[in-house]
Amino acid sequence: MMERLFFGAVATVLIFSALMAVGTRNLVRAVLWLGLTLATTSMFYIMLHAPFLATLQLILYTGGVLSLMLFGVMLTRRSTEQHGVEVHNESNGQRRALPIVAVAVGLIVTAVGRTDLSTATPAAVSPETREIGQRILGTHLLAFEVLSVLLLAAMVGAIVIARRKDASLEGKDDPRDRAAALPGSRLSSERET
Amino acid sequence: MSELMLNPWIRALFWGLVMITGVMTVTAWSTWFERKFAGRMQSRMGPTLVGPLGLLQPIADACKLLQKEDLVPDSADRALFNLAPVLTVGFAMGVAAVVPFTPTMLAADLDVGVLWLLALSGLMVFPTWMGSWASNNKYSLIAAMRAVAQGISYEVPMVLAIMVPVIMTGTLSLSDMVADQQKNGWLIYRLPLTGLIAFVIFFLASLAEANRIPFDIPEAESELVAGPTTEYTGMKFGLFYMAEYIHTLLSSAICAAVFFGGWDGPIAPGLHWMLLKSVILFVFLTWVRWSFLRLRSDQLMNLCWKYAVPATLALIPVTAFYTVYAAGKGGV
Repeated sequence: MMERLFFGAVATVLIFSALMAVGTRNLVRAVLWLGLTLATTSMFYIMLHAPFLATLQLILYTGGVLSLMLFGVMLTRRSTEQHGVEVHNESNGQRRALPIVAVAVGLIVTAVGRTDLSTATPAAVSPETREIGQRILGTHLLAFEVLSVLLLAAMVGAIVIARRKDASLEGKDDPRDRAAALPGSRLSSERET
Repeated sequence: MSELMLNPWIRALFWGLVMITGVMTVTAWSTWFERKFAGRMQSRMGPTLVGPLGLLQPIADACKLLQKEDLVPDSADRALFNLAPVLTVGFAMGVAAVVPFTPTMLAADLDVGVLWLLALSGLMVFPTWMGSWASNNKYSLIAAMRAVAQGISYEVPMVLAIMVPVIMTGTLSLSDMVADQQKNGWLIYRLPLTGLIAFVIFFLASLAEANRIPFDIPEAESELVAGPTTEYTGMKFGLFYMAEYIHTLLSSAICAAVFFGGWDGPIAPGLHWMLLKSVILFVFLTWVRWSFLRLRSDQLMNLCWKYAVPATLALIPVTAFYTVYAAGKGGV
């Protein structure tokens, strides 16, 4: 009984926050609603007796992805002003979106239809974290390593793209030196004298 | 009573209430302690007027904060502005759920306690950011960006540092960690002594996450007004302040459990030892706060990325090799 009530409450929050994330016009609020959606998803993992997945969901999605998105939003134009960036979906073509949505809904319905929805209580699954660790570093070691290399390549690529091309700043890691190298800097005149 | 406690819902409710009440009370009087301590270090008395030794000062402070006018800036995002302080305290308090005071006295004996801890400290930056964005003040937003950058940066050495105890004890559960230390010696002095270095880095990182001196550049009360919390008044500001203290106190408790053997100790029952160790660490934190100056923003980042992160990256393989080959704990 308690579980059902709890499930209902969490599911309501999840659906509501997901709708709000899509529906709200304010970009910052949309990201924060998305954060709530991601956080409530982890509640489902807890109810499914998968605390490891639940905490990873919190760390990676709510903690990591969301802060990345927040930084992204902050870099968009005028997002710091209260009603600066407002999102309008009308111009993006609702008709063109329709087939994509149809395909997505079809996929979800098929997936749900194929899943065995028996409500058997899971057996004792306490050592599952250890099990996951051994699977990752045993059976799936190759896939794990390939993923690490991919992520490393992405990181290196991001750094290369983000590096400043300005020749006068080359080899100057200390921000004070950088500031001093910029033309008209107060620091540069101070250093020269 | 014991039958009632078998129901997980009632158990959670009971321990939740106990923890929240306990942590709130200790937090209130830790401000008194810190002020007394700081006073003594600077050759003055600290609070003396309210009650004996100024002991009722926290209550007076709370009353004062509650009486203040609750101002919300005109152009603020009201909902987010009001939500942020509550969330801050909530996230800070959430850590208390997994702190193992004794083998039986812990709210949730999570199998993945360490991850829960890291998840919450990762989330801590959002309320700060949210509150400052909602106050629609560019100075608090700039301060919040700095706070977020600091929080995210120090999250990295924190995660890496706590991997050392995880490898040494072979568990992610905080209570199992303490049990292992009870059997095989505290991590702070266990060979190959990586626990000691990991402790120092973890401790520094949790100081940085709590925005305490020497890492309180986002707040810097004497120079930047109050950083992200500039627009907050009364109890809402009080909540941010409280969250900082809760975070500090619970970090001390976590360090005591993870590195100093938690409830392990002779003669007296476990709870005494756990509390004593936590208090000693908290005193140490206070001592640090009133002894050092704050670091500049770039020094802060240098310390994190150029020293703490490489150091922890080196610690992990050393610990892993030692644990598998010398201590023979491989078992794979």
